[in-house]
Amino acid sequence: MLRLVAKRLLGTASGDIPSRPLQILPRLYHENVIDHYNNPRNVGSFDKNDPNVGTGLVGAPACGDVMKLQIKIDEESGKIVDACFKTFGCGSAIASSSVATEWVKGKSMDEVLTIKNTEIAKHLSLPPVKLHCSMLAEDAIKAAVKDAEAKRAKTNATLKGADVKSG
Amino acid sequence: MASRLPILRRISILLKAPPSTTLRSLRPSLARRFLLRKVLAPNVSPWICAAASSFCSGPLNLPQDSQGPAAIDYRSVLSEDEYHRLANSTIQDLQEKLEEFGDIVELEGFDVDYGNEVLTLKLGTLGTYVMNKQTPNRQIWLSSPISGPSRFDWDHNAQAWVYRRTKANLLKLLESELEQLCNKPVNLS
Repeated sequence: MLRLVAKRLLGTASGDIPSRPLQILPRLYHENVIDHYNNPRNVGSFDKNDPNVGTGLVGAPACGDVMKLQIKIDEESGKIVDACFKTFGCGSAIASSSVATEWVKGKSMDEVLTIKNTEIAKHLSLPPVKLHCSMLAEDAIKAAVKDAEAKRAKTNATLKGADVKSG
Repeated sequence: MASRLPILRRISILLKAPPSTTLRSLRPSLARRFLLRKVLAPNVSPWICAAASSFCSGPLNLPQDSQGPAAIDYRSVLSEDEYHRLANSTIQDLQEKLEEFGDIVELEGFDVDYGNEVLTLKLGTLGTYVMNKQTPNRQIWLSSPISGPSRFDWDHNAQAWVYRRTKANLLKLLESELEQLCNKPVNLS
């Protein structure tokens, strides 16, 4: 047993230990990315006219990536109870937005604003050239929250106006 | 996606030319001053703002407090030719300076590569920088092992590439990060 370990450590391939070519493999998608690509979570859309739904639309087709991320807010608690996304783009962009919808569920709007693109990129082991996808996902979250907050403010303003009128 | 295209084309036309005048008829400096005044004017159409926010994660997507006053005229029209000229000269200039830097700093795994208009700077185990042009936005995109992704726009006033969210200057950012990583100062300006 000790000889086997020693051989491995010294890297002397004597035929009985298969050589490990891991270091010369070309760039591959991390298994988390492949998982999100093959089994994307929360694909779909909510009614954007629903006052409890915030929609974030970021990117542009010319750039190569478009992400639409929607969040459903619980009226009383103000927490995000559901999220869905639709993304046009590369595997990393799809995985980033899929991860984003998973991470926002159950959190408050303030909390999700602290989600950083670096965390998404780390979770998916994104290569340098794909870090921009994670930033887009972070922007999508921020845009959705901003839209939800704007709608809530509008609803509150309308309700206040109604109270004043009836009172 | 097909139904989006006409709308996007209309939006891009609207963003490029203000309704009351054609820019080509104005001298470039006058045109810029005119646009600056337009941007700072309070009555910018909300629809244009909303449309602009759907373009590549521009500053309009962020909550107001994290975005300082717009000192940069982000609606300045940079023609594609001028953009390519500026971006190419910046990137090629950087490539030369980084190659010189590589000769000075003895770092294992140091490599500068420019192919398909993408500049890749490998710093061995310290990380990799990737810089590329993003022509539709007239931007230079940078991916840094320290500061992550950033998107630089050309600022006419500063005559430099600036990342609006942090006000960072592309060359200054690279200089400070490379000095931090390699413990040797570098001048990229």
